[in-house]
Amino acid sequence: MPPAPLGELEQLILLAALRLGAEAYGVSIARELEAHAGRRLSRGALYTSLERLELKGLIRWKLEAGGPERRGLPRRTYSVTPRGVAALRASQRILRRMWRGLDDVLKESS
Amino acid sequence: MKRPRLAEWILRRAVPPHAADAILGDLFEELHASGNRARFVLNVCSIVVRYAPRSFRRDRTLTKERKAARMESLLLDLKYAARSLAKRPSFPIVVLTTLALGIGAATAIFSIVDGILLRPLPYADPERLVFVNETDAGRRMTFAWPNYKDLRERAQSYESIACNQGNDFSVLGDGRPRRLPGRLVCAPFFDVLGVRMQAGRNFTADDDRDGASPVAIVSDRFWREELGGDPAVVGRTLRTAERTFTIVGVLPPGFWFARPGDVFAPIGLTMTKDSGWHDRGNHFGLNAVARLKPGVTVARANEEISRIYEQLKREYPNSNARTGGQLMPLADRFVDQIQGTLVALMGAVGFLLLLACVNVANLLVGRGAAREHELAIRAALGGSRWRLVRQLLVESTLLSLGGGILGIAVAAWLLQTLIALTPEGIPRIEQVRLNRTSLLFGFAAATACGLLFGAFPALQASGVRGRHLLARASRTSAAGSPRRTRRVLMAVETALALILLAGCGLMARTMLHLNAVETGFRPDHLLTARVILSGTPWDNPDRRITFYDAVLARLREVPGVTNAALTLSLPIEGSNWGSVFMVRDKPVPPRAELPTSAFVPITPDYFATMGITLRAGRAFDARDHAKSARAVIVNDTFASQLWPGENPIGKFIKQGWPETSEEFAPWREVVGVVNDVKLNGVDQDTPKQAFLPLAQNPSRSVAIVLRTSTEPASIARAVEAAVQSVEKELPVIRPMPMTQMMQNAVARQRLSAVILGVFAIVAIVLAAVGLYGVVAHSVTERTREIGVRMALGAERGQVQRLFVVHGVITAIAGTIAGLAGAAILSRWLETMLFGVKPADPSTLAAVALLLLIVSAAACYIPARRAARVDPLVALRE
Repeated sequence: MPPAPLGELEQLILLAALRLGAEAYGVSIARELEAHAGRRLSRGALYTSLERLELKGLIRWKLEAGGPERRGLPRRTYSVTPRGVAALRASQRILRRMWRGLDDVLKESS
Repeated sequence: MKRPRLAEWILRRAVPPHAADAILGDLFEELHASGNRARFVLNVCSIVVRYAPRSFRRDRTLTKERKAARMESLLLDLKYAARSLAKRPSFPIVVLTTLALGIGAATAIFSIVDGILLRPLPYADPERLVFVNETDAGRRMTFAWPNYKDLRERAQSYESIACNQGNDFSVLGDGRPRRLPGRLVCAPFFDVLGVRMQAGRNFTADDDRDGASPVAIVSDRFWREELGGDPAVVGRTLRTAERTFTIVGVLPPGFWFARPGDVFAPIGLTMTKDSGWHDRGNHFGLNAVARLKPGVTVARANEEISRIYEQLKREYPNSNARTGGQLMPLADRFVDQIQGTLVALMGAVGFLLLLACVNVANLLVGRGAAREHELAIRAALGGSRWRLVRQLLVESTLLSLGGGILGIAVAAWLLQTLIALTPEGIPRIEQVRLNRTSLLFGFAAATACGLLFGAFPALQASGVRGRHLLARASRTSAAGSPRRTRRVLMAVETALALILLAGCGLMARTMLHLNAVETGFRPDHLLTARVILSGTPWDNPDRRITFYDAVLARLREVPGVTNAALTLSLPIEGSNWGSVFMVRDKPVPPRAELPTSAFVPITPDYFATMGITLRAGRAFDARDHAKSARAVIVNDTFASQLWPGENPIGKFIKQGWPETSEEFAPWREVVGVVNDVKLNGVDQDTPKQAFLPLAQNPSRSVAIVLRTSTEPASIARAVEAAVQSVEKELPVIRPMPMTQMMQNAVARQRLSAVILGVFAIVAIVLAAVGLYGVVAHSVTERTREIGVRMALGAERGQVQRLFVVHGVITAIAGTIAGLAGAAILSRWLETMLFGVKPADPSTLAAVALLLLIVSAAACYIPARRAARVDPLVALRE
């Protein structure tokens, strides 16, 4: 089954997780999005999106023990599944196709 | 740092447990890094908000099949319920009628309570607004302008304060001249209330002074209906008899202050040097509204106003000896006339609704008992107890929803009727309608009823056991729990009915007393109306006197008029001029103890027209003209209080304070005594009254009274034409038969009497039907027993007595409980009662007797059927 097309937020979260590699978890993903995508995401939106991505099989997580700064609560570190990578590629392809031939219109004056 | 336990607790409730730890860990980590607790709480909120609906969705997907099954069986229940109700339509019809009446009445009364008492006033921050007035020896009185100015300068409790005075305007222009309600206000009035104009501007201090160019603000209604919604209304002129105004603003729709008003003008325009405003002894209907500073309580503001009036008393002992100051929340002031009535009616309608519920519960229990067999079979075939209970609850919910819908229709009709019946001067009654809140109330009432009356039969059915009931249903037991339940319900119903009957009885007695009050004049065939000679052309008293004579001459020519007179104040309607006075042959008491009287200028034919009897001396006549010696006629109360055992004729009195000059307050000789006439309403004691010749006191406002040979209302138009043939642009205000004015004066009591009367009739019918049902059911159930009794030699009369006695004992138990309730609750009616005490024993005894007679009759009918049972047939069955 071809992966369902990704929403913009989903793409951003997956990309952030890929960029962070082994250090991808709730707090770091939120920071990454804020720093590089300029998106201040509400925590509600972040965690429900992560759960949705997990349900679609695009992301998975494992638990790690948390330190005193987390009051001993565990940490979920996320990694993008091969399906997730494929979905990102598909999205990129679609965007590329749509951009083709529009360079004159959308070119940013430098 | 303290752990935010509450937020954590909430989050754990909303988020699935497997995710909660990790999310909380993340949040704690961020909190640890930033130390920003607010951020933490905000994050928790956003997560809870996002997760809450998801948890519902998850639930649904997981249990879709179970849900579907549940839905299907619910539909089945609905189908059963509808079918079983349709099988015997008389049952649902009785239940729906009962509920519609109860819910309808409750919703209608609630709509009125909501519109008048509960809905906030249409101002900004209305809870900080207070109504300020003066008191005269503790009784509410309006401000003297200089006192108001002193208060305004000295008081620290108010953020802002503005005075105002109810004032009507004679609006001229197209069509008939008409008198429209309005208000004279200080410039900051609308700012104090926080009201913004929908067009134009508010008054400024510059508008609000003697000699300013006259400006006015008009209501939304006036602008739409009388000015055609003209978009260029600001700057238009508004011609009134008083002056010609330039309109500077239009109020927003729904603006309301104490009563509906159309025209508002600055009060400063009227404050000319010789207007009397600047005299500390004149209280010209001036009130004030103030906005308390944040945090200042009404009690604290009242302490301050008392202190200020103590100072004023010391500074102006002549005028302020008995004067105090007082304030109360604005919302309370507007409703203080009607609040008690509404609360009492709301209580009564609550009882009616409860009665309807109990009645329906009673019917349902009876029905449940009749269906025991059916239920037993279903239980025996494996229907779970919960299924049976649910079936019954579905049925009662269906009934209550139907009752709710019908009830709202009844409420719509009832509300219209009630509003038409309401007396004048009830605040905001014109804005009362069936709105969303009342609909919500109606459905809430229906749901509550459904649960209440559905609970009894359902509880009973929950005790159903298949084997047990099959056996019992065929045996016709002598004592079963349904019958005991029904008898208890019946007693409760009788008690509630008695409470409502007692309220109705007390109001009926009140109305009897009010209608029997000796008014002191003949109110039939009497037409009243009023004209007000406002504006500068009428400043000349001679012109006013000429007008009186001319208009009386014209009025006498109107066909059907046999006598005509003018007066400042009408009986019942109330005094327009109260004043202290002195008696020449008595020592002058201290200022605070000077006697007061109502002063009423009249034309010579007034007593003859009204049918008031001259007790001694003479009436006024042509001798009493503007230049002649000052004369006065007093009433019985006046004469007997001032000169007990003496002849009052030839004594002298002077209206006013000891220092008032002879020019304004000459000594007047008492020339006659007349009988007492009710002056303020029907239920107030008659005050001292002194009549003066109108020619010697030519007031600007005069009431016309006409004795007629025909139906008074029929000549109202002719009277208007006669007045306007003398003065073309003079509006004739509220032509009205005197009998109608008297009706209006007791309208508050009559309204309560009518409503409680309707409630009482419904209550007694419901109680009778209920009792009939209980006894009839018991007869059916015990047919075999009756057969046995009669076979063993019981007389028909004995059998009949058995059932009547059973029913009546129940009714007596209820009546006793009801009497206790009525004795306690009737206190709520106290403010409306006249001539009868709240727990009046004879009224209570009478309604108790009535209820018992009706109960006995309701029991007699089925009992007679019991007596006619043929023992052979009964035993063979």
